[in-house]
Amino acid sequence: MIWISSLLAAEPVLLALRLPLAALSGEVPRSCPATSLSDWGNLLAVIWDFLSLSLFSLGGGNTLLNEYHYLSVSEHCWLTSSQFADIYALAEAAPGPSSMIVGLLGMGAAWKEGPLWGVLSGVAAEAAILLPSTLVMVAACLSWNRLRDSPWRIAFERAMGPITLGILFAVGLKILHTADTNTPGVIVSVIVCVLMLRTRISPLWFMAVAGVLGALGVINR
Amino acid sequence: MASAPGGTPEGPAPSPTLPELFLGMLQVALSAFGGGLSAWSQRIVVDQRRWLTNEEFLTGLTVARLFPGPNQINMAVYIGAHFRGLQGAIAALAGMLLVPFSVLMGLGVLYFSVHELPAVDRVLAGVVAAAAGMALSMGFKILDQYWKDPIALLLAAVSLVAMESFHVRLVPLVLILGPLAMVWYWPRQRQAAAMPQKKP
Repeated sequence: MIWISSLLAAEPVLLALRLPLAALSGEVPRSCPATSLSDWGNLLAVIWDFLSLSLFSLGGGNTLLNEYHYLSVSEHCWLTSSQFADIYALAEAAPGPSSMIVGLLGMGAAWKEGPLWGVLSGVAAEAAILLPSTLVMVAACLSWNRLRDSPWRIAFERAMGPITLGILFAVGLKILHTADTNTPGVIVSVIVCVLMLRTRISPLWFMAVAGVLGALGVINR
Repeated sequence: MASAPGGTPEGPAPSPTLPELFLGMLQVALSAFGGGLSAWSQRIVVDQRRWLTNEEFLTGLTVARLFPGPNQINMAVYIGAHFRGLQGAIAALAGMLLVPFSVLMGLGVLYFSVHELPAVDRVLAGVVAAAAGMALSMGFKILDQYWKDPIALLLAAVSLVAMESFHVRLVPLVLILGPLAMVWYWPRQRQAAAMPQKKP
């Protein structure tokens, strides 16, 4: 009985603690005001950003991650850099294509308007990033017989491969910077990279083990 | 080219309708919850439902990798468009995305609700380190196939340095380097003979 009442008494204290603790986790200091989506002009501009990026998603879409970071962290300030890293990890851990991260970016952009707006904005962002590439893909399927032996197709395929390779390395480094963990964290990143290349262990195991290391305080940021 | 080697014994099934495309892709997405999406889609689309021959499926993978957009999502678009054009593509895409995207939105709502809790943030710091390792491995995964082509390595190095050191944005980078690389790789007689044409 006593512990229940003391718990109840502790609750306001805990709530009061929440705010400064949130400040400590690095969320409050913002260098720029977040772009508001309730303004139609902003909303259209953002949708246009995603629509126009769609056709540049080479090599399966992961090449766009640096652009996503630029748009959501530096330009529009919807997310902090560490939130971006969290969202990337979430999209990798979730089932399905990892490029669905765009849905989470959209959600982050509208989250302060409430969860419902967050979900709607997430769906809109995902639709915007998929629509142009889908239309191109439909056109490509319908005319593939003509495209297949075209020199344009061959040159395009061979030219984009190496550029994609360079971009993917830049993306890897960017995510590593964004994760911004301490030395044990970086060591874990390198080990995971090697294990990804050398073994067929599910990445979810790596995330689970690293999550435990984080909870124990071995990895922090 | 006449018939697919190792193809289906009973011949192709009739063309799927829009709801069938939706349900088929839903089945692929659900089966692939632990990963291995393209293996599952081959098993279901080619072996089980017999919509496509193996050869058609592999052509689809080639097209899906070539064109912009996530590979697995493009594969769904290919299958849908193959039978029902744009409508089919959208039905297949919806089936492919419905469940994973709903799960992701659920995770997102959860994340944005609790991520400010210090305990959650500590766990995420660890998870993020693992995810960064996964991101680092993406380039190394495809490095092998360019190892013997110095021009390809040069192009990759230029793209990497431009983005990493000079903060060149993706769109201008691709618009400038892409055409230059296409000119270099334009199929000439010598190359056309040396390069085995990819079988669709």
